[in-house]
Amino acid sequence: MKRPALPAMIAGSIAAAVWVLPYAWMVSTSLKPLDEIVADPTAPFPHRPQLEAYREVFAQVPVGRQMLVSFAMAVTIGLLQIALALPAGYALAKLRFVGRKVAFAIVVACLLVPAQVTFVSVFLMFSKVGLTNTFGALVLPFAASALGTFLVRQALMSVPDEIVEAARLDGASELTIIYRILGPLLTPTLVSIFLVSFVFHYSDYFWPLVMTTDDTVRTLPLGVALLKEPGSGVRWHVIMAGNVLLSLPVLGLFALAQKHLVRGIAGR
Amino acid sequence: MKPRAKLHPWLMLGPSLATWALFVFLPLGITALQSLFAWDMLTDAEFVGVANYAALAEGGELFRVLGRTLGFSVLVVAGAMTLGLSLALLLDRPGRFFGFVRGAVFSAYVVSWVAVALLWVLLLDPDRGVAASVVRAIGLGRVGFLTSPSSALPTLAGVTVWKITGYAMVVFLAGLRSVPKALHEAAALDGAGALARFRYVTWPALRPTAAFVATTSLIVSFQAFDVVRIMTQGGPAKATTLFVYAIYEQVFLNLSVGRASALAVVYFVVLSLLAVLQLRAFRAQGRGA
Amino acid sequence: MTRLARRALLGGLAATFATAGCSRSVRDARGRVRLRFWYSLGGRNREVLLAMVKRFHETQDEIVVEPVYQGDYFESLAKLRTAVAAKAAPALSHVVAEVVPYLARANALEPLDAYPGMNERELGLVGALAQSGAFRGGKEKPLYGIPLNRSTPLAYCNGEVFAKEGMKPPSTWTEVLEVARALTVPGVRWGHEVPISWWFWVALVGQAGGTVFDEDGRPTLGGEAGEKALRFWQDLVHRERVMRPPPGRDYDAWNVTNQDFLAGKAAYVWTSTAYLRYLEDNARFPVVAAPLPRDVRTSVPTGGTFFVVVKQAPDEEKAAAARFLRFVCAPEQATLLATRTGYLPITEGAVGRMRADGFFAKHPNDEVAQAQLASVDPWPWEPMLFRIERDVVDPKLEEAVLLDRDAKSVLDGARTMAARPG
Repeated sequence: MKRPALPAMIAGSIAAAVWVLPYAWMVSTSLKPLDEIVADPTAPFPHRPQLEAYREVFAQVPVGRQMLVSFAMAVTIGLLQIALALPAGYALAKLRFVGRKVAFAIVVACLLVPAQVTFVSVFLMFSKVGLTNTFGALVLPFAASALGTFLVRQALMSVPDEIVEAARLDGASELTIIYRILGPLLTPTLVSIFLVSFVFHYSDYFWPLVMTTDDTVRTLPLGVALLKEPGSGVRWHVIMAGNVLLSLPVLGLFALAQKHLVRGIAGR
Repeated sequence: MKPRAKLHPWLMLGPSLATWALFVFLPLGITALQSLFAWDMLTDAEFVGVANYAALAEGGELFRVLGRTLGFSVLVVAGAMTLGLSLALLLDRPGRFFGFVRGAVFSAYVVSWVAVALLWVLLLDPDRGVAASVVRAIGLGRVGFLTSPSSALPTLAGVTVWKITGYAMVVFLAGLRSVPKALHEAAALDGAGALARFRYVTWPALRPTAAFVATTSLIVSFQAFDVVRIMTQGGPAKATTLFVYAIYEQVFLNLSVGRASALAVVYFVVLSLLAVLQLRAFRAQGRGA
Repeated sequence: MTRLARRALLGGLAATFATAGCSRSVRDARGRVRLRFWYSLGGRNREVLLAMVKRFHETQDEIVVEPVYQGDYFESLAKLRTAVAAKAAPALSHVVAEVVPYLARANALEPLDAYPGMNERELGLVGALAQSGAFRGGKEKPLYGIPLNRSTPLAYCNGEVFAKEGMKPPSTWTEVLEVARALTVPGVRWGHEVPISWWFWVALVGQAGGTVFDEDGRPTLGGEAGEKALRFWQDLVHRERVMRPPPGRDYDAWNVTNQDFLAGKAAYVWTSTAYLRYLEDNARFPVVAAPLPRDVRTSVPTGGTFFVVVKQAPDEEKAAAARFLRFVCAPEQATLLATRTGYLPITEGAVGRMRADGFFAKHPNDEVAQAQLASVDPWPWEPMLFRIERDVVDPKLEEAVLLDRDAKSVLDGARTMAARPG
């Protein structure tokens, strides 16, 4: 069953152009001096490539610090979510108890409520206890992932009950079973959940925008967005340099862990 | 299996449930309550009943925002699904070239919305952007992608599709690969051409996947905020003021918490309805086939 | 993996709670008072502001200013208001003039009269730019704002083009039309360009003889004068086709206007005195500034921002803020700001010094801006002023001009919206 390859090659080339060229443009612009951008906006390559834009980004934005905050935030959220999804998924998948259906319905309901509906109240709640503009405000609301719980439950349902029963007979506590026995079994699922969550939260613009009021725990997407300044001419080379710095870690992670990311997304 | 102690399931679910209670359901309730007040965060709140909803409906603002968001969603869902499926079908081949292209398409999904928005603002700039030059070269004159009220929203939809097509493609790929080869071979033996094979073998098997992609694309498009904030700030002439951006504007720019909460309540109701409807539609289609 | 997860969980929780309870100390390690200052100036203006902060640090050792950039005026204002609501606001910031009455009524601002040396006469502030001159009835209110970067609208002419076509800067609305017609070359150059925004519309309304609020504080939006102003723009754009309404929201549109002017694509633009230095430095042709034209009278509003001190900040920080403001108003600093940026000098002392140094002789455009202060019309001291600007009028102006809607019905709709409680 050989399908003709030519349409596919053409489609592939067009797709490659549409999806790769913008990045190339981004990098190219970041290396151009401003007068080149103004004079000849469509030139693909810089005549006099320079790193001036990057220097300016580092001067205007505390890149290192904000990247660290973004990283720490995304990692913490990812780990918290795994830590909480394991027991929750276990309870829903393996244990029979009154109210299990209700609990599951709650998990599904959470999938539908986006941050945009809750952010005002959460912001006000945090401000009442003086927790706005803190690392906690960025992390705590996402400590539990409905999607993660759902995926853990699904994965555990195909794990035979005998493993749990055997462990119980051996005298293992429930916590041990969950974290030391079932956890490692679910490593692929957990890694996928972590990666999907990391990618989302590392790049999250909305929540940090709403929850932070100054530079203390500002994340990199916010810092880069602020490069777009009003009034005296938009400095594209600086903005694109910021963009490159913002995207590099995630693209790097993507290159390394593509398979796991895809699995997390496709759920298989 | 029976839990070892009656309390165990609740202890295991506890932290998650507590988080959701505190950060999802409680705020949801508070928001609903706040929609009945007029409050600017600096002075005292004033009970106004349904006045916020009335004001939103009366000015027509609510319906306009709803209309824009629905239109935007239709464009995004249709675009992402069509492109995602097409690319999945066309690029599902072995080899480094196709692997690279698939990776490139998917990488847009991984990069942040901020980066995508800033990048496309540059590319679409009427004076300095490449897209504008290409259009001029074709002879279509000066197109203000983001600066003309009529084209701004479709342009944003296009950028959104660019970003999430990779996601749709990946999900469809997984779905395609789960269609048993035997079915394809049987249909081929029966004399079915490629198109017929797609229609009678592939598509029915893909329906749950398609439902999943459609629903998640719907949710993503309804939650669109970053693109609006960075690329058009809701303009020109409010042409791109989508739901979430409207809520944000009411809170942070107009400091009208009651109005924002009313918008948020309507938003949540509409989104839930749409998600349920869409899932039902796909399931019904499946049953009817 | 699991052990790691558990440890990370505990670590994460510990970290979040650690940073959670941390409250900010008012003094730094050297015992200096830490003055938080949120600002929204970019580019060269930011450089000058930060240079003033550096100078302040060099002249004294009790206060250290911590400036934080927050985006443009409107973004910055939004963050400031939500920070006030969250009780996490800085002591010092600057806000657009029109929002001062609102913040004052909301009890967010600290009255400055009680602080040493904080009164307009002692500081020598220029009347039209200070609170007393910029607001009707501003003198009777407590002193809430010290002018920082103040400006008025100004007309800029492309000297080369005007000379070639033998045109003089227009001084009446009719002349604006004639000049725009003469200088428009379709596809190459626009005769006129001005951001479709509240500020310039208010100028037109004043020139047509109207006011935005009547004496009883009702938002009449200029009455007939308001409609006349709007129609003036609509005709220029849609009927005469000699004016380009710059695309983009807020300062994006101002940016486009500046760039079009510099690129020679717009021969006669209205923008702010604030861009005077920037335009002069970057134009490849002589820039000729002119006062805005008159219709039945001359009129310009003031713009830019006032420094404000936030009431809920700790007392020490507020006192430090007042001290910093006194420093900024000193002749050296006021002169520095005015000469390096193109914002109008805020103290009479600075004006005098600049005149004595021959600054205005060397920069005739600055003289034009200075002379136009005689036509300044004050804002009403109305808490609703800012909301009406942002929420009601600006969106409607955009709509009316871009989509050529009937001016009267647009403004009637705006008036109804304005009359509704916020």
